[in-house]
Amino acid sequence: MSDEREGRGGGRGAGGRDGKDGKDGKDGKGRRGFFRRKRVCKFCVDKIDYVNYKDVKLLAPFIPERGKIQPRRISGVCATHQRALQTAIKRARQIALIPYTTD
Amino acid sequence: MSSVRQYELIYIVPPETTDEALAELQTQVEAITQRFGATIEKTENWGRRKLAYEIGKHRDGVYVLHVINGPAELVTELDRRLRVFDLVVRHLVVRVDEELAIAERARVRRKSSMASRRVRRGLPPEPTEAEKRRDHDDDDMDGLEQGFRGGRDGDR
Repeated sequence: MSDEREGRGGGRGAGGRDGKDGKDGKDGKGRRGFFRRKRVCKFCVDKIDYVNYKDVKLLAPFIPERGKIQPRRISGVCATHQRALQTAIKRARQIALIPYTTD
Repeated sequence: MSSVRQYELIYIVPPETTDEALAELQTQVEAITQRFGATIEKTENWGRRKLAYEIGKHRDGVYVLHVINGPAELVTELDRRLRVFDLVVRHLVVRVDEELAIAERARVRRKSSMASRRVRRGLPPEPTEAEKRRDHDDDDMDGLEQGFRGGRDGDR
């Protein structure tokens, strides 16, 4: 389940459609459709109802190197779960499980 | 009359804290909870962990978690007292009963809706073992990919 999300940039899934006539000339136009991947909310897929702030392993994928909270448009998390995730991350920060910021 | 709510209390003590000092702190916390007629449902010691950022001069800390059922006044008192203890590097009290109730409701709702959908399709309400196994290795692309590459090598 999780490996579906990992290759977000790879875009292997939608490749078949543009692949046939997608030579160099059409690259600029077809690119968007080519690389987009269906993004799914990890919490909905895994049926996680309660985003536990004590579970660092659960929260870690949504905290990029800089320590900011990853926006929904990138992670694909649904609005409901993003809200829950946000409070969970903020709590975890307070108790030093997750950094506020790195360097 | 104040109602009973569920809280989670986490605090961090320095790793060099002796067991006696930690036990002393825990009895203090217990004493406060008892004074408010509250009960400690669960106590967990997570042991030594690296802090995500330095707090004062500390880089590591011992985490202790209490799950407490008690009134709201208890939290103000606990918060005030924990602030005073020099031993406690950092503490956090979170009310969890409402959130857990919401999560539980969502879980029940999903389960019942899944069961009713399955019954409508003429299946037993609970997924059988065989179905669960099939769900797992559903999206396996690796075999497909290898087969394709192998074919092209053959043509050449």
